[in-house]
Amino acid sequence: MPDNHNGNKLKMKYWYETLAVAQRILIELGRRRRSLVLWSIFPVSILIINALILKERANLTTAKAFESAAPASLVGAALFFSCLGGSVATVVAEREQHTLKRLFISPLSGTSYFLGIFLAHSCIGIGQVLLVYAIAACFGAQFQGSVLLGSAIILLSIISYVGVGFILGTQFARRTEDVNSLVAAFGVPLLILGGAFLPTALFPKSLLELAKYNPIYHMNESLIQVWANGKNFDDISEHFWFLFIFSIAMIAGGWLSYRRMLRVERRL
Amino acid sequence: MLQIEKLNKSYGNRPVLRDLTLHIQPGQIYGLLGQNGAGKTTTINILCNLLNADSGHITLNGEPVSDSTKPLIGVAPQENLLYKSLSCEENLNFFAQIYGLDRKQRYHQVEQCLKAVNLTDRANSPVETLSGGMQRRLNIAVALVHQPKLVILDEPTTGLDIEARYEIWDLIQQLQSQGITILLTTHFLDEAERLCQRIGILKNGSIVAEGSLEELQKLIPAQEIIVIKTEQEAEVIARAEKYNFIPRRYGSDLAFWLPEPLELKEIILRFDGISIDSIARYPVRLEHIYVEVTK
Repeated sequence: MPDNHNGNKLKMKYWYETLAVAQRILIELGRRRRSLVLWSIFPVSILIINALILKERANLTTAKAFESAAPASLVGAALFFSCLGGSVATVVAEREQHTLKRLFISPLSGTSYFLGIFLAHSCIGIGQVLLVYAIAACFGAQFQGSVLLGSAIILLSIISYVGVGFILGTQFARRTEDVNSLVAAFGVPLLILGGAFLPTALFPKSLLELAKYNPIYHMNESLIQVWANGKNFDDISEHFWFLFIFSIAMIAGGWLSYRRMLRVERRL
Repeated sequence: MLQIEKLNKSYGNRPVLRDLTLHIQPGQIYGLLGQNGAGKTTTINILCNLLNADSGHITLNGEPVSDSTKPLIGVAPQENLLYKSLSCEENLNFFAQIYGLDRKQRYHQVEQCLKAVNLTDRANSPVETLSGGMQRRLNIAVALVHQPKLVILDEPTTGLDIEARYEIWDLIQQLQSQGITILLTTHFLDEAERLCQRIGILKNGSIVAEGSLEELQKLIPAQEIIVIKTEQEAEVIARAEKYNFIPRRYGSDLAFWLPEPLELKEIILRFDGISIDSIARYPVRLEHIYVEVTK
């Protein structure tokens, strides 16, 4: 019984700490209203531009064009920049303001810190999902496949992005100026190769072979198949498992990176 | 409250702490002084369990220092490590949450801490809008929010104007009156003199002098110090030595330790026949002891 009690106490500690970190990040974001507005404008504009291109060039109806454009706009544009870019920025801001040192002094666990960042960016991601979905729905788009499967893909995408963001933020970016160059250098080629801005159907065969090693390609393809084409798990299992393994690897990588940063920065 | 016994720490081949031993009693303000690189920060880092010592041991409230003693310590680092876009209340609330205080305790503690540092009327102001002194007070409040047994104040008044320093000094004295034990590191010796019941002077990683101000004053054979301005320094030094006045240089000042207190006219008489521009008399201060034991 005492073991069980201690276990529950520990779980509650992690939960409260996670909640505290997430709440803090969201309050900080809320204070920067302009950033919040820009985070909303960005996926909406990408969605509309993508949909207009698809409607015109692929001869689709407006509803179908928005159905096809929404997944790529979401995992490519919205979640990439908010969850990956956002978590890099969060870690870098903590390092720049030296507030990380204060957190190291406190009993906050590394797990809670990671989960807090994940939770905060998941909230932002979910907000963007709702926004993109609502706008697509306004133009007649419908979610064709399993909402549960779609949600799982979105969740795995968020986990992967936050994990990569944690690795980049803890290992490669020391200053705010580094964030843009890092996100541009790593992100933009991967986004293009993942089909976020350009349908993968247009890729030459060699590029398509290369894209299969790109997690964004798998996020994008699986979500398009489920959202726009109503495919089920069996049809997208290859993409799903790639994404699943990648997200686990990124959690592990993020955790190890955090431990490494802890060793380096553990001085007042 | 805090017992540090024979603590050793090296970075590579460079020893930073050598057999450091110090004891702090409950409710005491202990001043840890020393030049940059003397080992103050390393000591604090080991206390906070951020670094492991190579040997020696530390107990806090009878418990060996570990992750489980973190809630017993509150640290106000040199820099104001605060979330600038959050308000004072939000900063305190966040750290209270991290330390596991429930909603009711948080509400009470945040209110008490804001009151203690005189920031109640700025509770909702973002940190970035506060003056340097206010931010420093909030930095200390964050260290207090979880009601630690030991508060470490790392150079709490560095970079503040004199008004703000007075406010911080009042706050520290107020904390002591509430029974909080404080470990204070500072470069301002007047601050240590004014606030600390016990002072330890650290040099090359070990304590070279320790005690109350009165005890430390006994370390140098001087009842009083005089500073003489003169063109004939050699003659003054020769004459002073005749009367067992011990010469010292404090910057460009030529000073002498007087082994016993003398009236001014007696001091002037000792230098009869030598042209002297001025003589100033000072009590033995911590700075004189500090210079002596760290040179």
